[in-house]
Amino acid sequence: MRNKTVLLTRTLIKNGEGLGIRGSSTFAKVMIILVFAIMVPMLMFGVSSLVAALLKILKQIGQEGVVLSWGIAVNSAIVFVFGIFYIISTFYFSSDIENLLPLPLKPRQIIGAKFLVVTFYEYLTTAVFFLPVWITYGVVMRSGFLYYLYGLIVYLLMPVTPLAIASVIIMIIMRFTNLSRYKDTIKVVGGTIGIFIGVGINLVIQNIAGMMSQDELMELLQKGNNSLVVLTSGIFPTARWGAEAMIYSGKLPGLLSLLIYAGFSLLIYAALLWLGQMIYLGGVVGLSETGSKRNHRKGLELEKKAVRGSVIRTYTLTELRLLFRTPIYFLNCVLINFLWPVFLVLPMLFQPEQAKTEMMQQLSIALASPEAAGWIIVISFAAASFLGGSNGTTSTSISREGQELYVKKYLPVSYRQQLTAKVLSGFVLGLAAVIMMVLFAVLGLKLSPWLGLLILATAWLPVLLTSLTGIIIDLYNPKLDWDNEQKAVKQNMNVLYNMAAGAIPAVLTIAAKAALPGLSSLIATTILLTAVYGLLCLFLFKLLFTLGVKRFCRLEG
Amino acid sequence: MIELTNVSKIYGNTVKAVDNLNLVIPDGEIFGFLGPNGAGKTTTIKLIAGILNANSGTIRINGLDIEKDALSAKMQLGYVPDTPNVFLRLKGIEYLNFMADMYEVSTEDRRERIESLAKRFSMDDVLNDRIQSYSHGMRQKIIIMGVLVHNPPVWILDEPMTGLDPRSSFLLKEMMREHADSGNTVFFSTHVLDVAEKLCDRVAIINKGQLLFCGSMEEMQDHFKKNTSLENMFLELTESEE
Repeated sequence: MRNKTVLLTRTLIKNGEGLGIRGSSTFAKVMIILVFAIMVPMLMFGVSSLVAALLKILKQIGQEGVVLSWGIAVNSAIVFVFGIFYIISTFYFSSDIENLLPLPLKPRQIIGAKFLVVTFYEYLTTAVFFLPVWITYGVVMRSGFLYYLYGLIVYLLMPVTPLAIASVIIMIIMRFTNLSRYKDTIKVVGGTIGIFIGVGINLVIQNIAGMMSQDELMELLQKGNNSLVVLTSGIFPTARWGAEAMIYSGKLPGLLSLLIYAGFSLLIYAALLWLGQMIYLGGVVGLSETGSKRNHRKGLELEKKAVRGSVIRTYTLTELRLLFRTPIYFLNCVLINFLWPVFLVLPMLFQPEQAKTEMMQQLSIALASPEAAGWIIVISFAAASFLGGSNGTTSTSISREGQELYVKKYLPVSYRQQLTAKVLSGFVLGLAAVIMMVLFAVLGLKLSPWLGLLILATAWLPVLLTSLTGIIIDLYNPKLDWDNEQKAVKQNMNVLYNMAAGAIPAVLTIAAKAALPGLSSLIATTILLTAVYGLLCLFLFKLLFTLGVKRFCRLEG
Repeated sequence: MIELTNVSKIYGNTVKAVDNLNLVIPDGEIFGFLGPNGAGKTTTIKLIAGILNANSGTIRINGLDIEKDALSAKMQLGYVPDTPNVFLRLKGIEYLNFMADMYEVSTEDRRERIESLAKRFSMDDVLNDRIQSYSHGMRQKIIIMGVLVHNPPVWILDEPMTGLDPRSSFLLKEMMREHADSGNTVFFSTHVLDVAEKLCDRVAIINKGQLLFCGSMEEMQDHFKKNTSLENMFLELTESEE
């Protein structure tokens, strides 16, 4: 009999979506393949050149191994943070669970298979950053066969520890929150707590590493002989062994480090399976149930609840309701807008007291200077553009319809109105991120409230711009063929494409300001930015209402 | 009234799901649309509802072209899909209100209709709950209520009885009869031939996208020159096509 975990893993991977280009227009397919064929090798080449340059310097002081330990540590930390989102979705929010629970599978087989699927997808992400580090180090240091073999083992084991730690945290939280009849709310709260704990733990670990004094650091640096590798265990505990296995691949310490690295990974995987066997079912069974009040006494209350509203308002409100009430949409499209400022504030809270006050003082002084005002507006436009682009609301707004897209086809509402309402829902959420940003700047960094108001009055334009790019991207490359909600947002490349679409104007705005030193006054900068972003929005609206509407009309779910 | 003239729908340049279909369903008629699985019933219904675009031919609802005059034509019809799993995270009342707003129903009309429909379908206790918590039959009922809230002259229903309890099924059939008798059009697909035989004024049988027969029960019996059940005639028609 074949191993059920392996069998299930293979089925789940086959059931996945790959690049997610099924159902895309031919134009979108070509674009996506081009982006991948050009961007990924370019990125890998960039990392590789950086590593080669770093190695040249580090070799002179005998610290070249730091490149490897950093490569492993940073990759593991990234896997850990993103893994938290990924694990919640696949372990608890994915609808295939309802089909798996009735099968004669042990909880640890389900957990094992789902864990392996996530690990498999992580290989694709880590490859982009780790492969260039691994290969470049090998070539520059003229390493032998064992180096590459150990490197392969390290690469294959790298996602295991961070993902297993993330899984354990999530499983414990979900086990104890899966109690109420308000399942959706609890899922959202549980997921949010999980994300905060994950980010918190990561910051605490980094902070401990940062506590070493300047003198201690210098002493360590001067020792040579890759002594700095030890430090990276501060970023991710097991990174050091992985790196040492590769650095000393020809010698006994290398083999020992590899054994420790592999042993730890297998041990924590086994611990995960053991824990999963005990508590997974308690957390997942009945998770999709919904509470029902069956209220006999209250009556229908139609006077309050059945009131006519405008088409656009009702449509937008319904979009927002679904975004807030569907846990996986909430985490990816709504919460993300409120998380950015938290990501900014948390590291500051963990700084030593003295450094914190000094930094805040310096920032406040810098912000108050008259020359800074022009820059502040530029940076807030750039930040709003990036924040707007990174919330996946409009870039998944067509995809989220999935097989239910037909409903929108028979409604007697023009496609133009429907698309406008979808843009509005993303715009409202993106605006929340800008408001959070301004609040943080005014309350935390003592930015002038007037400047804060000016930002609020103008920086909605970049949010509108990225809401428009998002929906246009999703119209041309919608992911409609999904069987669970997480595939519509989590495994949807359109979110990434729109993040890039938001990053481009952000970078260009800053670059333009740097290239035009004559443009220093606040008023001139604001007028110019408002005009440029305003015109771009008008152009995209025109595009959406002509080609976009035609495209929506042609889409058949 | 529904008119289909030379309507064809091709999937992926090769599969002819609907092949040159011609149908006229006048006012005051309940029309049953029958055929084996994959015959093209749902595709035809989706073409009529404006969900799919035909490759050729025209479809008119009460004289309005579903492609050229889409919004006015859609205002004329109420469509019940074959799967009732939509808007699961909305509450029943929120869904009904959403549909009423989309179809521009006044506050007074929607209150009156929601109240009477909720009573008829015994749904008044659950309208404040999310649709997700409903059983299959209750989901089917809320979809039907959402369609009827704007009182459309033309009803298009895809397998409407699936999942309904006997009482609700009886009620729906009764409502279909009332609707047709007051001069409106009811077009529905079904696999339950007994229902079609008892309820429909005329039926059409479709297979592989082509119309095999269209007419009343009497015309069908004349056609086969024997007094037999719809089930037997259906099997004979579709079998000879295999």
